[in-house]
Amino acid sequence: MLSPLILIQILWTSLATSSCFVLFALAFALVLKVNRIFNFAQAAVMTTAFYAAYTVVGLASGPGWAGLLAGVAGAVAMSAVLELFGFRALRRRQASSMFVFIFTLIVSELISYVAMLIYGTWPATIFPSLFWPVTLVGTIAVSQWDLMALGGTAVVLAATFAFLRWSRTGQSMTAVADNPDLAEFYGIARDRVFLAAMLLSGLIAGFSMFLYGTRAQVQPGSAIELLLFAVAATIIGGIGNLAGAVVAAFVLAIIQNGSVLFIPSEWQGFLLYAFLFLAIVLFPRGVRLPQRKRLVRRTPAPALGPAES
Amino acid sequence: MPGHPDARRSFALTRRAALGGLGMIGVGGLARGARAEQEPLRFGLAMPLTGGQATYGQDQVRAAQWGLDAVNAADGVNGRKLAAIVLDTQADAQTGIQAVNRLVSVEKVPVFVTAWSEVVKAVAPIANDGKIVELSVGANSPEIARLGDYVYTTFPLADVDITAVAEYSATKLGKKRAAVLYINNETGITAAQVYRDTFTKAGGQIVAYEAYDPKATDWTGQILKVRLATPDIIHIQGLVADTPQLIAQLRQLGLTQPISSYSAVYNPKLIQQLGAAANGVIATSLAPGTEDSPAVKAYVERWQKEVGRPPNGLPYTQYLYDAPFLVAAVLKSLDSAKKPITGENFRAEMLGIRSFDLPLTGKLVINPNHTVKKPVYLMEVKNGAWSELAVVS
Amino acid sequence: MEYLYTLAILMALYVILAASFNFVIGYGGLISIAHPVFYAIGAYASALLARDAGWPIPLAIVAGALVALLASILVAVPSVRISGDYLLIASIGFQLGVLEAIKNIGWTGGAGGLTNIPALLAPGSNHAIYVALTIAVAIATVVLLRWISRGPYGRAMSAMRDDELAFAALGRNALAMKVAIFALGSGLAGLAGGLYAHYFRFLAPGQFDILQSAALLTMVVVGGLRSTWGPILGAIVLEALPQAITFLDLPPSLLGPLQGILFTGLVLIFMFARPQGLIPAGDIWRGRKAMATDARRA
Repeated sequence: MLSPLILIQILWTSLATSSCFVLFALAFALVLKVNRIFNFAQAAVMTTAFYAAYTVVGLASGPGWAGLLAGVAGAVAMSAVLELFGFRALRRRQASSMFVFIFTLIVSELISYVAMLIYGTWPATIFPSLFWPVTLVGTIAVSQWDLMALGGTAVVLAATFAFLRWSRTGQSMTAVADNPDLAEFYGIARDRVFLAAMLLSGLIAGFSMFLYGTRAQVQPGSAIELLLFAVAATIIGGIGNLAGAVVAAFVLAIIQNGSVLFIPSEWQGFLLYAFLFLAIVLFPRGVRLPQRKRLVRRTPAPALGPAES
Repeated sequence: MPGHPDARRSFALTRRAALGGLGMIGVGGLARGARAEQEPLRFGLAMPLTGGQATYGQDQVRAAQWGLDAVNAADGVNGRKLAAIVLDTQADAQTGIQAVNRLVSVEKVPVFVTAWSEVVKAVAPIANDGKIVELSVGANSPEIARLGDYVYTTFPLADVDITAVAEYSATKLGKKRAAVLYINNETGITAAQVYRDTFTKAGGQIVAYEAYDPKATDWTGQILKVRLATPDIIHIQGLVADTPQLIAQLRQLGLTQPISSYSAVYNPKLIQQLGAAANGVIATSLAPGTEDSPAVKAYVERWQKEVGRPPNGLPYTQYLYDAPFLVAAVLKSLDSAKKPITGENFRAEMLGIRSFDLPLTGKLVINPNHTVKKPVYLMEVKNGAWSELAVVS
Repeated sequence: MEYLYTLAILMALYVILAASFNFVIGYGGLISIAHPVFYAIGAYASALLARDAGWPIPLAIVAGALVALLASILVAVPSVRISGDYLLIASIGFQLGVLEAIKNIGWTGGAGGLTNIPALLAPGSNHAIYVALTIAVAIATVVLLRWISRGPYGRAMSAMRDDELAFAALGRNALAMKVAIFALGSGLAGLAGGLYAHYFRFLAPGQFDILQSAALLTMVVVGGLRSTWGPILGAIVLEALPQAITFLDLPPSLLGPLQGILFTGLVLIFMFARPQGLIPAGDIWRGRKAMATDARRA
């Protein structure tokens, strides 16, 4: 059962199929880190991306690259709308995080109903066929989709981390994530950074949703379920830790798939929640949520020496 | 009051009547007494018109409407028209309860038709308490046979078609080693057990028996286990949302064995999604196909002409087309014997008649143990199209 | 009549749920969305005790509520200790995990649901009795919660909500208070669950998922957080509205999604136009900080 070939195959295929989820987790973790929002509305972004791509390729028979563009554009647009008309307004009113959370849930539901209205509920894929050609490397089956997914994911991951590290906006994001008030002191426009983070998250989510939709069927309500995995990975990986979320997503996916070799397959679905629960219980220090640090007003210390005059 | 309402619009009209009924119960009583001769006989139809299952539900309701029209175009019920009160259940327990409550206590129908296991189970107490007959048409959970005195199914429950395909694989196809992949929910678990029991009883051996999570999108682990076990046939018990991907992954990981499944995968879209990989897939169907019955052929052609596509879940729609015929037959019998039309009498009469000849699904025999047995049609994908492999009685 | 009885019973149960949820998230300031899971735990526990262990039903219902209460303490204690926000994650995980477990365990009926649950009322008796019972429990719940939140305990809750650090500095135990609030709210949800189970006599895990959480959140938000009448109004309106829409005779392909769009749209409009809800909190005990925020918002 544990022959190396089997393990390699599981490793390979899990790596490939987890790529979408890794990107979902990255998008979610980014918004959580910078904007400090549990962005369940990412499901709305993902749904928009899928159906935009589906319209171009599945319904209008456009080429694949056009579908990809449409998907990403749709996702970015939806993210922009969410930030400009939703989160920004809520921020102005100093809405509590509970309020914002409810908002994200409701928006996701709204978009799924709109999708249901326009596209119906039948499962759909972006391309009419979900069969991808396979080549055998030794005895390991490598599908063309696997290569496409892993390649694309690697590019997106590299680009994102490079952006965060070396570009002005990216660095601003990190600054705002650390201490928003202080960052403003340095002339960083917070609102613009929040928008940038949402747009980047939308880009990542849109790309990965396109990938997902070329391999699996999607219904209007699918995105919320896909998002749950991303949320779990983000939490287990450490809130505020993007690399942690990415690694956690990979590891979780591989473990979930490999688990059927060791535990009865009925419990596979339960595994995710078990991990989540363990993460919560075993990190008593808290996988701490970033607190809004209040600016400490320092009063000037009274002069203790003799007065000057 | 104009003459008999146009049959095709009777649906919408009766619905309006149902909806206005609540407010007009008091006023209408007097007027109704005077028009008793022309008033149609009614039964309930509680199906998912909205929500996630609506794609199936709406087609099934349309089929029932066509059946109803055909019943009325013939003799109706000894000259009286038959009408259906259609309410939405969203395939959800709570909504279903509300809908059936309306049917039973407001509309006071003697019988209602419903589908989807969750709804069928949730409304069973209402049917039993109110002594109204509940006809489950399409749900296949074996538990339906044990839901109470007033709950009957006209659609064979899970054991029927799975037993047929398991036995056929073991005996006619000569398969000795079967692998079972099933979705980890009620449909999957119970049906997989039926397959396992039948296959082993027929002399075969189950070499792999793996569940998968309903939310899974990657089945590599299970598939590799199956591959290791070297089966000569693989049976999949999943849903229309995941089975195509599962089959695709099976083929991609190098498994070339024939694949069998049940009626959920029997639709033309599967072939489109899998291309050549769909060849050899066997599915069950619990209703005769276009090759078996000219009536079915005409029915499918009518769908193509009037709606522009084949129906979603063709066999299920056939059963719903036939439901009004069954109801009409029982009501006719009650009417001829001058018995009052109540749920209790309907039940007794239905069990008395017991055997019905229905246009699109053939002969139906309702057993006292609340089950029915029907021939199972095994369909196979050959050269990019579904064709009939065998008929198992 | 049966139709109206069922509607009334559902409204009463949702009033209990909305009021207790309001207590937890509004008065207690605890961010949790797992309220439906305690509803489920109470329902399943009561149903199983009555059906399989032969307990008399009233006893089973009370036991169900207690099981829900104990379960909530199990969730709250580890997670509240760290930070209030953390409860959100724990509650999501707990809800999904419990539902997953129910689907996998055979004796809960699994994913297909639990059938043949014994009824509280003898067959043939008038269901109006049950309506009266649930309405009575709903009224009692609302009165109890109002009494608590208007009294000295309510003052303490408000203080804890406003500034937990200062609260602790005054020698009060914030942790114990949070757990107590969570436990009471969840226990009431469990009670509602038991009442549900022995009337409708069928339970399925799908009835208690995230969509239910969203529905409850909607009721509380649209009704008005931290007000007494708010959740009541929210529960009644949001139960009656879908039924009313079904009388509009819309074509089916439009009805379903439109209903959903109408609802979520309504909530969004409310959240932006009137964030304090239909009935704004008549807070007696709000701190200066909250008053200042209100002034800014106005």
